[in-house]
Order: sequence, then C-alpha cells, then structure tokens
Amino acid sequence: MKNESTVIDVPAESSSAMKGSAPLIGVARDHTTNGSGGYKRGLSIFDFLLRLAAIIAASVAAGTMFTSDETLPFFTQFLQFEAGYDDLPTFQFFVIAMSMISGYLLLSLPFSVVTIVRPLATAPRLLLLVLDTAAMAFNMAAASSAAAIGYLAHNGNQNTNWLPICQQFGDFCQKTSGAVVSSFVSVVFFIILVVLSGVALKRH
Amino acid sequence: MAKESTTIDVGEPSTVTKSTSHEKKKGFVAAAARGGYKRGLSIFDFLLRLAAIGITIGASSVMFTAEETLPFFTQFLQFQAGYDDFPTFQFFVIAIAIVASYLVLSLPFSIVTIVRPLAVVPRLILLISDTVVLTLTTSAAAAAASIVYLAHNGNTNTNWLPICQQFGDFCQTASTAVVAASISVVFFVLLIVISAIGLKRH
Repeated sequence: MKNESTVIDVPAESSSAMKGSAPLIGVARDHTTNGSGGYKRGLSIFDFLLRLAAIIAASVAAGTMFTSDETLPFFTQFLQFEAGYDDLPTFQFFVIAMSMISGYLLLSLPFSVVTIVRPLATAPRLLLLVLDTAAMAFNMAAASSAAAIGYLAHNGNQNTNWLPICQQFGDFCQKTSGAVVSSFVSVVFFIILVVLSGVALKRH
Repeated sequence: MAKESTTIDVGEPSTVTKSTSHEKKKGFVAAAARGGYKRGLSIFDFLLRLAAIGITIGASSVMFTAEETLPFFTQFLQFQAGYDDFPTFQFFVIAIAIVASYLVLSLPFSIVTIVRPLAVVPRLILLISDTVVLTLTTSAAAAAASIVYLAHNGNTNTNWLPICQQFGDFCQTASTAVVAASISVVFFVLLIVISAIGLKRH
C-alpha cells in the first residue's frame, strides 16, 4: 500500500476575474422535493375539491330518491295509487348504496387532506385509489340498476306484459330519473378521482 | 500570471475503487430487484387479463344464446323468450363484447409492462382505460342483474309478473351470464390495483 502523490497546477488569476467568473456548477435541480411536490400538491387539492362535489352529488341522489313519494288523487280497483322508492327493491338498494357512498366520501376527506399536507407520501394515495375504485364500482352498480328499472318504468316491456307505470306516476318517475342522473355524475367524479390518484402516484 | 501548485495525496487507490464499484453493483442490484417485483405484478396482470377475456366472452355468448321456446301457448303471454326481448340484455351483450375486445387490445400494453417494468406510461394508460371499462362492465352487470331480479320476483306494487315461473331455463342462463360479468368486475378492480401499485414510486 503505497501512497501516491500527484501535483496539480492551479493557474492563479487576477482577483477581479476570480470574483466575477465563479463557475456555476450545475444548480442542483431538486427533483425530489419541491418540484414534483408542487404539482402533486395541486393534484391533491383538486382531489379534495372533487370529493366535496361528489359528496354533494351522492347525497342529492340519495335524498331525491328517498323523497320521491307520490300519491295519486284518485284510485281504481286494480292499480295502486301510491308510489315510493320502497315499492321497488332496486330503488331501496339505490338509496342505501348512495348513502353508504356519501358516508365513505366524508370519511375519506381526512386522507385527502393528508395527501395535500404530504404530497410525496404514497400510502395514503394508494389507499384512496383502492377504496375509490371499489366505491366507484358500487356507485355504478346502484346507478345502472336503478336506471334499468327507471327505463322499464318509462317504457314497459311488451314481451313480458310489464306496463309502464310512469304514465300514472309522472312526478315519481321524474324524481327517480333525476336521482339516477345525479348518481351518474357522482360516478364521473369517482373516475376522475381514481385517475388523479394514479397520476399522482407516478414515480419520476 | 503566477502559477500555484498543490499536492494532493491519493491514498490507497485499490480499495477505494473496489468499494465504489461495489456500491455501483449494489445500486444496480437494487434497481433490478425493484424492477423484479414490478415485473411479477405485470405477469400477474397479464394472466388476470387472459382470465378476464375468457370470462367476458363467456358471459356475452351465454346471454346471447339464452333463448327458450315453451311447448305451449296462451292468448296473453308470449311463448318465446330471448335476450332481444329486453333492451337491458341487449345492452349487456353489446357492452360485455366491447369489454372483451378492449381486453384483447390491452394485452400488448400488458406485455410492454412485463418487458419494461419501470416504465410509467403504459401502466398509466392501462390504469385509465381499465377504470373506464370497469364502469362499463359494472353498469352492464348491475342493470342486467336488476332485470333478472325482477324477472325472478316480480313486483306486486307495479303489477309486473315474474316471468321466470314460465321461462325457467331462460332465467337460469341469464343469471349465469350476470354472475360471470360480476366476476369480471372483481378482476377489473384487481387489475386497477395492480397498475396502481406498479406505478408507485420509491
């Protein structure tokens, strides 16, 4: 083990030149903290706002369907003169599902705040993505099954002799259709939320 | 201009170079290991896609061929039932067929994620399109399920009679198709979660 020595010649320059021409040795661009943290924080804020909007959409859907009762001013001996969401099991499922989704969204707000405060943490985002995917599927199931029943109520089915009840219960049908539309809006919000979480999880 | 000279002692070069190359190797092994578990995820993703293709093609074709003709007839009720008697079942067949063809088209992207486990763009594309297709599948499966439920149970409040009591085979076949589509929904949720974990940075 012998020590090696080397001699390096450092050319001395005039003091003014040394002061002025300090070489900029690559301004270290901080890729790991502030740069990507900034846009991810923006995504998290957008995520939080979308969650608030989705809470409104889901609770409006549940509430509209829940209060969609209609009582006709007349009656016949064959047909019922009252219609409510609890006459159709699919609509009952819809109300329960949309309420659960509103509750889930409320409970997920703290996690969203955590991703705003710590934009680079992956565990909260991954948890939110997985739960949002499941909630989105659940939401879509409730919305589309209620839409199928609503379509049937509007149009009936001649092959199975199912009569369209909307011709008697116009208000009921309108309110349930509005609830279904609001639920589909909530599904769109969920899709955007899932894609946002996926983009924010991206590595650099 | 006066030249300045300085003397730098470079001590023990052989061990220094050994340790730096060792660090380099460690770093390379770590990168390959990170890529390793992501490659495993991509392979699992590919296999799940193949399984989902099988199930969605099965669901669509089972619903398509769900016909039944009763050996008798009355003057009120139809004596034939097929998927095209229900607009919801028509939507089901078309939507699940679209989902099956999407899955076939997404197989090359899945292979790309196997070959390049650390690439971000293919996984992100798969995540976004899987999310959209998940909603389509869930929508078709849930709508068909609600009609199947109605056909089984009927509804006394709206005077909708349960037709499964006459068309037992048709109802059974339709229910099987709906169950298969629901299983494919579970597969899609798993695919999305796999893509998300594969996207994760370290």
